[in-house]
Amino acid sequence: MKRRDFIKQTTLISGSLLVPQFLTALPTIVDKTNHKRLVIIQLSGGNDGLNTIIPYSNDIYYRERNGIAINANNMYKLTDEVGLHHKMPTHKELYDQGQLTIINNVGYPNPNRSHFRATDIWHSASDAKEYETTGWIGRWMQEQQKANTAAIEIDDSLSLLLKGETTSGLAVSNEKVLYRTASDPYFKSLLKQHTATHLSEHNLGYLYKTMVEATSSAQYIHETTKLKLANTSISYPKTIFGKQLSTIARFINSGLHTEVYYASLGGFDTHANQVARQQRLLKVYDEGIKTFVKDLKQQNTFKDTLIMVFSEFGRRVKQNAARGTDHGTANQVYLIGDNLKTKGLYNAMPDLRNLDHNGDLKYQIDFRSIYKNVLEEWLKMDSQLVLKGDFKGLTLV
Amino acid sequence: MKLKHVYHLYNRAGFGIGYEEAQELEKLTKKEVVDKLFEASKKIDYLDLDIKELKQEIRLIVQNTSGKREIRKQVASVLKENKGKLKELNKAWVERLQTTDAVLRERMTLFWANHFVCHDKNIIYFKRYQEVLRTNALGNFKDFVISISKEPSMQKYLNLRQNKKSSPNENFARELMELFTLGRDQLYTEKDIKEAAKAFTGWSHDLQGDFKLRNRQHDIGEKIFIGKKGNWDGEDIIEMITTHKECARFICKKLYTYFVNDKPNETHITEMIAVFYPSYDIEKVMKHIFLSSWFYQDENIGVKIKSPIDVLVGIGRTIPIAYQKPKELMYLQKLLGQVLLFPPNVAGWSGGQDWINANTLMLRLKLPALLLNQGVIALEEKRAFEDDFEKFNKKKNRNKRLHVEANWEAFEKIYSNKHRQYIQEMLLPQKLSSATQKHISSLTTTDLKSFCIQLMSIPEYQMC
Repeated sequence: MKRRDFIKQTTLISGSLLVPQFLTALPTIVDKTNHKRLVIIQLSGGNDGLNTIIPYSNDIYYRERNGIAINANNMYKLTDEVGLHHKMPTHKELYDQGQLTIINNVGYPNPNRSHFRATDIWHSASDAKEYETTGWIGRWMQEQQKANTAAIEIDDSLSLLLKGETTSGLAVSNEKVLYRTASDPYFKSLLKQHTATHLSEHNLGYLYKTMVEATSSAQYIHETTKLKLANTSISYPKTIFGKQLSTIARFINSGLHTEVYYASLGGFDTHANQVARQQRLLKVYDEGIKTFVKDLKQQNTFKDTLIMVFSEFGRRVKQNAARGTDHGTANQVYLIGDNLKTKGLYNAMPDLRNLDHNGDLKYQIDFRSIYKNVLEEWLKMDSQLVLKGDFKGLTLV
Repeated sequence: MKLKHVYHLYNRAGFGIGYEEAQELEKLTKKEVVDKLFEASKKIDYLDLDIKELKQEIRLIVQNTSGKREIRKQVASVLKENKGKLKELNKAWVERLQTTDAVLRERMTLFWANHFVCHDKNIIYFKRYQEVLRTNALGNFKDFVISISKEPSMQKYLNLRQNKKSSPNENFARELMELFTLGRDQLYTEKDIKEAAKAFTGWSHDLQGDFKLRNRQHDIGEKIFIGKKGNWDGEDIIEMITTHKECARFICKKLYTYFVNDKPNETHITEMIAVFYPSYDIEKVMKHIFLSSWFYQDENIGVKIKSPIDVLVGIGRTIPIAYQKPKELMYLQKLLGQVLLFPPNVAGWSGGQDWINANTLMLRLKLPALLLNQGVIALEEKRAFEDDFEKFNKKKNRNKRLHVEANWEAFEKIYSNKHRQYIQEMLLPQKLSSATQKHISSLTTTDLKSFCIQLMSIPEYQMC
């Protein structure tokens, strides 16, 4: 028997078995998909923004960083004042084509310098003093009653970003493993016995609910993405990041209903010997983006995809003694796409003469203003339902 | 002691217990059972990993090479050649958990490894660090913090070596308070972090990994830490932190949510603080938990989600499993979301529902079949889809079998088909829903092995 036929048949046969009785007790999930896709990328560890988008005509920059500052001759010059790291040729190209927006000096009041807390703040869109248990994408899913396949994190575990009150996104590092495991007949018969009461128990209920969702989501992803596999001719860099992006592109190009993707590239916590390390990481990042954008453009999906890149914090203006930098505050956010309303540099570089008591940047644009714009103009919803507080409107997408 | 409570105690304080042993303990009082548990963990056994040759090689480099820089370079390259040792250490740890009698010490070691989170590629240093965890697991918390701060692996992990008088590096000082002793934003300010960082300037180690204070880098000047002025050094800072009850509270709360219930109970935690503060005696507070009546209340039994290691080791303690390839064992841990010795970040694994997502849950449910029934697992992402399914199924999957051996004979020596009820009580001691009970009674298999695997594949087995 041919495999394709086999799958068709088993799917048909098991169709009735697959949906346990108590699934009807779950809220009816309506998937009103628009065709916009949002890809969120985190440069984890706190990328040193000042050495990525570089104020090369600023004396303070060279004075404070005499061991790690990037030489003005060794960068892509975007303006008379601003340079781009030399390992980011793709971003230079995107910049020239008007497909890149650089938003400088993004942060929030009373910035936290712990990786985890700062990441939580960015994921949950909370204030520095607020501890949220849901992410802004999770709340978007909740409000819009999305299925868990609406947001996918390319990883083994799920981040706060994709967690909602009762609905969460999916963490998928390998969709084939997920599918193969979820289609076991023993589990199907086990689920058949169960009733809605299980779902109300705290931790155990969570397991049963996850099991039911996993089974149907695994099937959906598998059925949708398997056909597109053969058509992909582009080869991605052999890095973990490259693999993550290749999965996202495959999902997008197959027409999967997923609207938000999240992946992170780690290692940016450059306390020591920063120059070589950051250079290596930015190369991995830039090369990944290069292939990803090319892939989407070829499949004509780039026009409906917005890539948003952030880091949980920037780094201190003054370098430390180990030729590295310590945890800082405000940083850049990059937007990549075909529908940008403000192309290139959105605002001026941070003022290095006006630092806080720690010697860190004072933010200018609240990161939630960016979320607000993306929620309203890209995901097309009332941002008030997801964000607490009144944030300034920006002209981004 | 009730059999159910013996299982509960051993699920939380250890990694499960067999029916025969549990039956013996059933005859004893709670105090006797708990005393036995602590008695078995008196001895301190380090993980078996032979690094004698490696150490000798490094000794020779130091003897025969001139110039510090050159020595460091050569040592680094020898260590790089030996990076496989880290996998061996991982395997030794999992095997230890599967076989040890000192279950409480191992459980505590696992707890502290996720408290004083650390990673090091240098196997000599990282082995030392592991030994400090095992030595202090049931000891004095204050001494524990001081010892761990002097470990080379920790000093490297949190950039303590780069913390110099001329330019303090705050990483260690921040994590000391945020993660090790007080909790995020408790009691201390950004200013206190800066002051504490100064006190730890110059803390370092020699090539062998022994603690060394580099006087020239150490700031002997005055510091003001949480309101107190003095010429504090690192140990003073730790001493001062522990005088604050907030530190005892932070540790007790963490112990409670790990050992008792995800949801903290203020009354019980306050009780624990009264035992823990100011002595910081870990053994004493652990004994208090296991002797309390609240630990054995139904609301605390079978309500926690097992960690991946708990599941893996729990299966292995019921049916002994031998892993032939350390690499596979590590990959399995990776898929499950918890690789021992490789924490995800400085804060460690957050646990609870965070262990669970669609992927990890389905793999956990499938794990007993994988390990015990020569199940197939996608060890590597395989090529898309071949057209011929028969061929696909036959050839490809054969390579994906795990190289594990399950010792069913050991199991069958103890259990036979007439023990079905006992096996169920052992594997699923908690109160089961009627649906789950109905499911279990509908299992028709006459094969004891299959019955065992099927019980372990029910979501309730993921709880403890």
